[in-house]
Amino acid sequence: MKALAAALLIFVAACGQGNAIFNVDVLSFLSATDSVKRFSVPVGIGQADSNVARRFFLPPGFGKTAADSVSASATASIIDTAGSGSVQFDVFFARTQGALFTGTPYLSANSGAMVAGDSVRLLPPTTVSLADTVFQKDTVWVGVRARINKNIATTMAGRFRLNSLLVRIVVRGNIL
Amino acid sequence: MRTGVVALALAVLVLAPLRPASAQLSFDARRVGMGGVSLSRDGNARRYNPAYRAVKNKNQVAGAPKFSIPVPLGLIQFFKDHPINQLSHDPMFSPDSAAFNPIGLLDLVFNPPIFLEVKKAPTPTNDVAFTIGRNQLIVDLGASRVLIPEQDFGLGSTSRLFDAGVGFAGFNFGVMGFLEYDVEFQLDSTLRSFLVSDSTARPNTPYFVNIDGVAQAGFAPTVSYAGRILRGAGGNDTDDGFYLGGALHYYYGATYGSAVGPAGFTTGTPVLGSTPTPLLDGLVSTSTKPGGHGVGGDVGVVWISGPFEVGAGVDDIGAELTWSHTKIQRYLYTTSTNSVSRTVIAPDTTTKTKLPVTYLANAAIHMGTGTTVGGDVINSGRGTVIHVGAEQRTGPFAVRGGVSRDQRKKMQFGFGGGVRLGPLGLDIGFWTHSNSFSTQRAITMATSISIY
Repeated sequence: MKALAAALLIFVAACGQGNAIFNVDVLSFLSATDSVKRFSVPVGIGQADSNVARRFFLPPGFGKTAADSVSASATASIIDTAGSGSVQFDVFFARTQGALFTGTPYLSANSGAMVAGDSVRLLPPTTVSLADTVFQKDTVWVGVRARINKNIATTMAGRFRLNSLLVRIVVRGNIL
Repeated sequence: MRTGVVALALAVLVLAPLRPASAQLSFDARRVGMGGVSLSRDGNARRYNPAYRAVKNKNQVAGAPKFSIPVPLGLIQFFKDHPINQLSHDPMFSPDSAAFNPIGLLDLVFNPPIFLEVKKAPTPTNDVAFTIGRNQLIVDLGASRVLIPEQDFGLGSTSRLFDAGVGFAGFNFGVMGFLEYDVEFQLDSTLRSFLVSDSTARPNTPYFVNIDGVAQAGFAPTVSYAGRILRGAGGNDTDDGFYLGGALHYYYGATYGSAVGPAGFTTGTPVLGSTPTPLLDGLVSTSTKPGGHGVGGDVGVVWISGPFEVGAGVDDIGAELTWSHTKIQRYLYTTSTNSVSRTVIAPDTTTKTKLPVTYLANAAIHMGTGTTVGGDVINSGRGTVIHVGAEQRTGPFAVRGGVSRDQRKKMQFGFGGGVRLGPLGLDIGFWTHSNSFSTQRAITMATSISIY
């Protein structure tokens, strides 16, 4: 994808001052095991995370300038099969793997209180960040976190499914 | 490696259609103002028509200057925008700068700003959208689709670097240097459809550009003849008559190289389920020793009768060079090793190349009213260019106009004027031209000083 995008960016350079818009279906590049996670948090643990971290290559020109804007949107669903608690769904982007899951997530939604048998659809609001420097590198890390919060005295189990994760990156001017 | 190969494949798609517009344009503002036609017996006529060797070099056009000196107003503007002492930090020349645009730089090389660009051709400013997913790749170029060439495109020229000799009685013995290069690109129909209409890449499908290029250079001992076969009604004191010229060349090739093959990429299944595989499979032939040889010739005729002059010349007829020592290699991208492998197909074999036939047909009539009308059809190795122009002189003033059909078969227009003050003259000419990045024409203003 990196190679192809780099090649196609040649066209962007020839297109004057127009924007290059990349609509990336991030979910499609994740494996089935990344997008569907089963969890079971035993007694004695009040909070547990189920994380997915993947690296994506960006066209080389992204390293020269900040993206004009980055908007992200996602949907996910939680099925509580046992116990009660809540699930916090967060999506992060970072320049390095170490920086993932720190700071403020790009997307965030909370399931609220759930009991066994509940199914909740998570619809975090689309976010737009301007002059984003995270994408000012030839790679970007994407992290998806489902944080399970529950009573320490009970067990909670269930299934988390990422239904969509779309990123729209707008770059203005010359990026080659 | 993959990035480079795939990027290169599509880079040529955008970069190659750039035409050296300036190369089709004279530095003489008078000629610019007449749509590119030359009404004088300049070097072009002798280059393409050996019969002109017998025609007096003296210009018979009333009021025509001895020579012209271009006034490079474009360079003044360029160096005002890009100061010489800051060129090292200039975003135009600094690849590290975010404002660096390699295509803009290449455009500068092909279209040096000698003259002032009074109207720049607007480039498409629309957004270009890429929709990227494991199962899909959609490229929406918007209005920029017009940049995708419809036919084969490329760069090419045949030139004679020097031509020197001695002669008597119409015969001439000499040697000339030749240089020919031609690079042609052809979009595969699948790639073109993807970029122009379909926009959606299909899985397991090759998208590529076919590249065919050759370059060769050498020198040619030449025997030529040019003479006035028939004298006209004007007698010996005039140039009237019928002239015939011919030249026989023995071409001695110093070096040559050629490359042919596709370059592109093949999508995966699904489309971006894996990194697109570079597609590169080229045969490269190079001469290992000088000594390409062959025979060819030029012929030309000129007829002059009073104010009327017409000529036609054809060069490099039958010019085929045999290269006895050629190495042929195959360059193939191998997926398993993610590298380009080189295989010698033939270490020392014989190949043949041809020099393209070039020609010039020209005509001019010098009317007694100060009006001169002329035209020419020229093919310097890559496409025919037609110029038609006229000049009207009234006292010290001159008005000019002309049209041209360029190598891409687009109509271009020229107009201008001049004033002569004793031995000096100032001429100005405007010329439309097209580049690859716009469907609209740009206008260049040429200025030159003429010495009479």
